[in-house]
Amino acid sequence: MISTLRSEWIKLRTIRMNWVLVAIALAFPLIVSALFVAFSEAGSFDGADIFRLLSFTAVVTTMLLGVVGATTITGEFGFNTIRPTFAATPKRLRVILAKMLVVIVVGIVTMTLVVVAGLGLCTAIASARDVEVDLGAVEALVPACVGLVAFGTILTVFGLALGSILRSTPVAVAALILWPLLVESIVSVILSAVGIDNASRWMPYGAGTQLWSLESPDAMSGVTEGLGRVGGGLYFGGVVMALLLVGSVFVSRRDA
Amino acid sequence: MTVVVEGLTKRYGAKVAVGNLSFEVNPGVVTGFLGPNGSGKSTTMRCMIGLDRPNSGRATFQGKAYSALARPLHEVGVLLDAGYVHPGRSGRNHLRWLAASNGIPMKRADEALGLVGLDSVGGKNLRTYSLGMKQRLGLAGVLLGDPHTIILDEPANGLDPEGIRWIRDVLVHQAGLGKTVLVSSHLLSEMAQMATALVVIGKGQLIEQSTVAAFVARHGDRWVRVASPRVATLVEVLRASGTRVEYVDDSTITVHGTTAAEVGDAAARYNVALHELTTVTGSLEDAFLEATASVQEYQGGAR
Repeated sequence: MISTLRSEWIKLRTIRMNWVLVAIALAFPLIVSALFVAFSEAGSFDGADIFRLLSFTAVVTTMLLGVVGATTITGEFGFNTIRPTFAATPKRLRVILAKMLVVIVVGIVTMTLVVVAGLGLCTAIASARDVEVDLGAVEALVPACVGLVAFGTILTVFGLALGSILRSTPVAVAALILWPLLVESIVSVILSAVGIDNASRWMPYGAGTQLWSLESPDAMSGVTEGLGRVGGGLYFGGVVMALLLVGSVFVSRRDA
Repeated sequence: MTVVVEGLTKRYGAKVAVGNLSFEVNPGVVTGFLGPNGSGKSTTMRCMIGLDRPNSGRATFQGKAYSALARPLHEVGVLLDAGYVHPGRSGRNHLRWLAASNGIPMKRADEALGLVGLDSVGGKNLRTYSLGMKQRLGLAGVLLGDPHTIILDEPANGLDPEGIRWIRDVLVHQAGLGKTVLVSSHLLSEMAQMATALVVIGKGQLIEQSTVAAFVARHGDRWVRVASPRVATLVEVLRASGTRVEYVDDSTITVHGTTAAEVGDAAARYNVALHELTTVTGSLEDAFLEATASVQEYQGGAR
């Protein structure tokens, strides 16, 4: 397993596009948050506002991490390197497991950098402007930060899961973007229309976003009876793992 | 290590790509894997290493299925298509991930690059490689783990004459070390120089497994080439005995359905001086076309 992990890590780090995606994923929330703190009127924002902005802009980060996760396997199918991969490691589940572990590490490291560097940078800029920002006073900041890291990491695995099922980079990336933006909204509306109340609480991505909420679920707009931070995270993570399991079965049973 | 394919069958929908195919590949010689386009050679190779799931049958490497090999690159080196690379990765990094997957030291990747003459371009992206360079890189991947079995699908594709000779020498050398080498190629003249044994298939079925010499003897034509200043006399004598004779030029003929000794005896009886008396054996290509005439999937029309 260690050999397969090393191999998958070499594959991931030797493709320049992965570095570009991670760089953009890192830079985008940092730049937007820094600009906000640098140019907003002093006293018009507090620590909670900074975190909210950072977390909303980090949605772009999570999506890009999802793309990295997806291309980890769709790129292999696209360029047919999946064949030498499976010739070198005939146990295909081991390959999928190694890919999952590698992208999890990438997800955790990138999201942690976004959160730590983002809050640190914003605090430093505010301090330079003599604007007092007390992050310690923000209720539930630490669990929300941990939740944001977990959310991005789950999105990375989500991309891998979609990629293993769909095999095509454009299709997997489209699914990754449309799932939260369109599919969950449409399904929620349809379920509500047929009389199923609070259907949105069971939408996996929506449930997952509670991981980084500073508010209690009851206070969140549109989610009157949410699953909560832990429940929502576990539910989203569970759905993603189920999808990855389906993808693993597909990859194992189909001809390479 | 003997490779055994037993009753291998692979269907794609209603089409049977490979049907109940069985053969053996033995160590110490290069075994050519021949068949017309679409005959199932590549499918067979993919099934042998578990990339495609056969509907029935199996392939074993010294009694073990490929999927049961813990570190297959140490035992079986496979090159199915030199194009199975990521264009954005360097040749060296391509070999490094392959090496890492089987616990092969990273320095071996550089050694393998040197073996195939690519050490100076190992750091360049694969999108800059020609097909011939990719074939060399593919062979480097095959040799990474110093395997005792080598399986190659059309390794000479894209190689220049020097490259073709090089790959022939490499494979003959590897077979000489006692390794098992199975190689498909449509370059039959190359195969004739490289292979000692043959597995010939058509429409997914085994046509013949034998040595190259036996295959050519069985399916190839054989004739006697004769040159003489009095060739007309000899033609008259041979035709009188019912032998088929064809003129090559005014002084040279080819004689079919007899032996050089019989032609020589006839010439002696009539005091015909001979300037050439040679037995000519048909090529592997002739024998292959003869053996696979009924199973050609795609045939051109008469010109």
